[in-house]
Amino acid sequence: MIEVRNVYKRYQGHHGGGWVLRDITFEVPRGVSVGVVGRNGAGKSTLLRLIGGMDAPNRGEIMRRGRVSWPIGLTGGFQGSMTGRQNTKFVARIHGDGQAINDIIAQVEEFAELGKAFDQPVRTYSSGMRSRLAFGLSLAFDFDLYLSDEATAVGDMGFRAKAKKAFEDRVGRAGLMMVSHGEGILKELCQAGLWLTGGEAIWFDSIHDALSAYRESMKAA
Amino acid sequence: MAHAERTSWQITWSVWHAMFMREVLARTMVNRFSWFWMLAEPVAYVVVMIWVRELLGRAHFIIGADFVPWLIVGLTAFFLFREGITRSLGAVKANHGLFAYRQVHPVDPVIIRNVLEGLLKTVVFVLLVAGAEFLGYRVLPGDPLGALAAWLSLWLLGLGGGLIVSVGSTLLDEVDLAVRLSMLPMFLLSGVILPLHFLPHSVQQYLLLNPVLHGVESVRLAFFGGYRSLAGVDLSYVWLWNVTLIALGLALHLRFANRLKAQ
Repeated sequence: MIEVRNVYKRYQGHHGGGWVLRDITFEVPRGVSVGVVGRNGAGKSTLLRLIGGMDAPNRGEIMRRGRVSWPIGLTGGFQGSMTGRQNTKFVARIHGDGQAINDIIAQVEEFAELGKAFDQPVRTYSSGMRSRLAFGLSLAFDFDLYLSDEATAVGDMGFRAKAKKAFEDRVGRAGLMMVSHGEGILKELCQAGLWLTGGEAIWFDSIHDALSAYRESMKAA
Repeated sequence: MAHAERTSWQITWSVWHAMFMREVLARTMVNRFSWFWMLAEPVAYVVVMIWVRELLGRAHFIIGADFVPWLIVGLTAFFLFREGITRSLGAVKANHGLFAYRQVHPVDPVIIRNVLEGLLKTVVFVLLVAGAEFLGYRVLPGDPLGALAAWLSLWLLGLGGGLIVSVGSTLLDEVDLAVRLSMLPMFLLSGVILPLHFLPHSVQQYLLLNPVLHGVESVRLAFFGGYRSLAGVDLSYVWLWNVTLIALGLALHLRFANRLKAQ
């Protein structure tokens, strides 16, 4: 489904910058959900951006087979001056669903439960509202792999339950690759785990093992 | 939604469609003065220049064309070029949030803004020509196909320049200001409001390096049958620039695609 082969990534700017990811290789089979863990700055968001195709690796290659979502999160993905509805229309159009645009808008409106705010500019939204819109929007398309970058972190309990149910409905059909610092939601939604540490990626078939390895390293530090 | 795999062209087309709808709204609906200003700016220039000419004592500078039609045609032709450049300056930054979708590239908003601006300026031009004709000036083009070709060439010149400055201004803040400031000398050097043929030949030679002058004068030559422009005005010179600028602009967008998205 997703094959990441010998991927290197660094950001060069005024401040130099070493390798964020160094020789990463792993494979995500179809329908498997992966939780990505690691400390701040370990390269979790970078990895998601690479898999989502927002950015290109310096070396190595990433192969996507099937439809992969954009990294669903709080930053990016929306144009602040456009309303929730206009953003939804835009995303539906770029995904080639111009004909089904009304169904998609109805679906997003129902999932996000933003009420009148759906017709307000996105820059007026709270982070919780943004994440509802982002999640609702991504669920309106049948992706084979959803990339979630802390998108559920700011949701309230009702929203989390809803997001969880939406993914449970898709188990077997769609996979999820999720960056989160919330152990609970990772355990609930993911089977496998990927631990990013020191620019390397270590794959665990069980999310519980990944979490305990990550916890051990934090204690040792 | 179930999906069949799309070709690159289908994806690009749907991105352009989505981007066009977004830009139309942003350009025409956000500010209620935007429509007014599109028409008012060229009209204001024409009115001011008529007044200036009255002060100068109605000298006949221009051979083979009336002053007001000459001015309307030149101004709108220049604005077509200028808007292509200035609207491209902010095109990448204004759509930054949308590069989260891998289907959208930084070059898309630049192209779409130029298409939209070209359409808007064409509508404004037709309205102004119709208005002037209604007021009794003879403005209708003598050679409509030639006028269309010259108009299109100027539009492509703006697109080519816009592709380049959109990369420059996104990576370097200073480029934005420099380009905006350079539009005023460009205005004068392109012979938009003051005819340039009373200048000595040695100066004209250098002025003729400017492709905008060729473009603006070509539009006028197509409009006014007996119009005498500078010697050496040539639309193919504009096309030389068009091909070069567009190729260079697209190359820059390819080279810096990732940095433009990250900015």
